[in-house]
Amino acid sequence: MRKKITIYIIVVVAAVIAIAGIIGYQIWNKPHQDIKDAKAIETTAVDFYTNLANISNQKSASFINKVVAVAGTVKEVSKNRLGQQVILLKTSVDGGSLNCTMEQPADNVMAGATVVIKGVCTGYIEGDKDMDLPGDVYLTRCYQLK
Amino acid sequence: MSKVLTLFILLTCMHTRINAQLYYTKNAAISFFSRTSLQDIKADNNQAISVLNIQSGTIQLSLLNTAFHFPKAKMEEDFNEDYIESARYPKSTFKGTIADIGKIDVGKNGSYSVKVNGDLMIHGVTKSITVPATIIIKNGTLSASASFNVLAKDYNIRIPTIVENKIAENIQITINCDYEKK
Repeated sequence: MRKKITIYIIVVVAAVIAIAGIIGYQIWNKPHQDIKDAKAIETTAVDFYTNLANISNQKSASFINKVVAVAGTVKEVSKNRLGQQVILLKTSVDGGSLNCTMEQPADNVMAGATVVIKGVCTGYIEGDKDMDLPGDVYLTRCYQLK
Repeated sequence: MSKVLTLFILLTCMHTRINAQLYYTKNAAISFFSRTSLQDIKADNNQAISVLNIQSGTIQLSLLNTAFHFPKAKMEEDFNEDYIESARYPKSTFKGTIADIGKIDVGKNGSYSVKVNGDLMIHGVTKSITVPATIIIKNGTLSASASFNVLAKDYNIRIPTIVENKIAENIQITINCDYEKK
């Protein structure tokens, strides 16, 4: 009888350890958020930049890590150090842009094109007043919708 | 009238000269690397703003902690919520000076090893640091790079005992800036 109880306890403990291991493995390896299919806040580059550049850090926190779909006009297309495409969208501030790092490069996008870009908002960084350099609002993991 | 014209030309020339000393990038690349026997962790952030005055040597860098991208979603989540506390401390910054700026000639191609002194602010804690850096001048373009180590505990970043064999206390930070002339 005692032997049966011992075996029972060992099996239960092993099962608990195995289940905990599987859950831990799944949590550790959960994929990044699927930006393409995520629900997005729809706005324009001009409005979104103006909002984030002019509100306090505390208020802008409500936009951080949110998925947004932004319509705007392309100012510049370039590549960063990792070879990722970076698309700058025009805003109402000369020198201030919506700075979008693409997860999937947009095809045939050139300066002047009207596009809709969907990505995760990481926030606004102030520029340099002494240098007369406005800041940018940043989106990352972006996809072109239109 | 000629005096006004002379003054205007002088001011225009001065403005051009001052601007010629200023460089900036809005997509500087910052990465950090943690190595332990059990796990290597690398994260990249290509959304930092840096400004450099090549005459005075002043240099600044500012980034959003939420822009660090990790290979695993859970790593990114833990970094933002438990370690760097991005909601409370959204930015990391560096403000400093290139000590030996005088030896850089922007008109001449070359690679210059320099020392940068300044204040590094991470996780709301500011520490004075001195790090080696390299400035490269190539056909009128200017780029800068630096690599140095920081201790997590110096910036009040606590690594729980349960994961201390997976996350290094000594973190390597690498910075690469490709500047544009203002």
